[in-house]
Amino acid sequence: MDLHTLPKVRDSWSFLYVEHCRVDQEDKAIALHDKRGRTPVPCASLTTLFLGPGTTITHAAVRALADNGCLVAWCGEDNVRFYAVGMGETRSSASLLHQARMWSDPGKRLEVVQRMYEMRFGEPVPPTATLREIRGREGMRVRKAYAAASAATGVPWTGRAYKRGEWHKADYVNRALSAANSYLYGVCHAAIVSAGFSPALGFIHTGKMLSFVYDIADLYKTSVVIPAAFAAAREGSLNLGPRVRLACRQAFVQMRLLRRIVPDIQYALGMEGARDERDAVLDSEGSAPAGLWDPVGTLPGGTNYAHGGGERGKKWMEEGV
Amino acid sequence: MSVVVMVLESVPPGLRGELTRWYLEVHPGVFVGAASGMVRDRLWEKACQSAGLGSCILVHSDTSEQGFAIRTWGPTRRAVDDYDGLKLIRRA
Repeated sequence: MDLHTLPKVRDSWSFLYVEHCRVDQEDKAIALHDKRGRTPVPCASLTTLFLGPGTTITHAAVRALADNGCLVAWCGEDNVRFYAVGMGETRSSASLLHQARMWSDPGKRLEVVQRMYEMRFGEPVPPTATLREIRGREGMRVRKAYAAASAATGVPWTGRAYKRGEWHKADYVNRALSAANSYLYGVCHAAIVSAGFSPALGFIHTGKMLSFVYDIADLYKTSVVIPAAFAAAREGSLNLGPRVRLACRQAFVQMRLLRRIVPDIQYALGMEGARDERDAVLDSEGSAPAGLWDPVGTLPGGTNYAHGGGERGKKWMEEGV
Repeated sequence: MSVVVMVLESVPPGLRGELTRWYLEVHPGVFVGAASGMVRDRLWEKACQSAGLGSCILVHSDTSEQGFAIRTWGPTRRAVDDYDGLKLIRRA
């Protein structure tokens, strides 16, 4: 399977949310089944599938989604998600290794953190600013975003509040914010994995398996989630779910989120343009073997090195002396 | 200007003739063109009025996430469902 022919994140639909249906494989894609009929879904065009209450999904359907590079996320009533990911658009680990190198070096990690804050602010950060000052400024910026959305929609705002396990009791603006966040996280998670990065190696966020997802989602929170959630909440609490989803989709389209998210990730991590030829080879033939690491340079995989040690090495290997 | 595709099934010949003034018939009953919103909407209205017992489908490009909108008229075996702004086709 030539991975170059898989659709790119930038050309895909952001998400599809379904509930109360059975999801099964259909030809090389999937279809939704309920008492009203059968609805095929072109999942190669889809980045994220959210499965809401009342859904069942078959093994073959999950495989078809993974083959098409679509992330599947399960939504519970309290918005806690389980997820399944395929191998991603590219089998090469070059992107992930770059992310790991940037993450593990404190100086490089700080560069990425600063770049991410600059992307949120939309302007450069003075080199003398401390991380504490940057976080303070970000706190003010987010508070202003909530206040502005509240003023623009007339929806009252008393602060971000959610009690885990008591989600249904939260006021409906906070419910809308939690829901919109979870759709943004799902789409960001799918894009991160699709582009070959790790969702766990976060720079600003740390300690969770989705730390990098939170980093990337925060680039778009004030321009996507907050306006979308307040717009949906403006119409009241009835039927909030579908209206939040529609508002999110409209915000994703307006912001051209799918077009910019992978380039934004690469920019935040300080990556240059083209990948090297080896990655291109790996992607053209998904089952090409991985290389073997060696201090001098990578050795080709798929080879038995039993007699690779020269005469002395051969004697040691065969006789153990 | 949007790209327009109209599919007509079992409609009177006069209607098909009218559409060939504006669009190319690339396949029996399948009409393609690029039209302004106004011309497109007027032709669609005319098609729905004159379709008789037949059916019409209109697909045209727009600014939504999918990049196109779908309208149907008459007895089709397929229905267009809206999933929070995403359109999918359901077969009974």
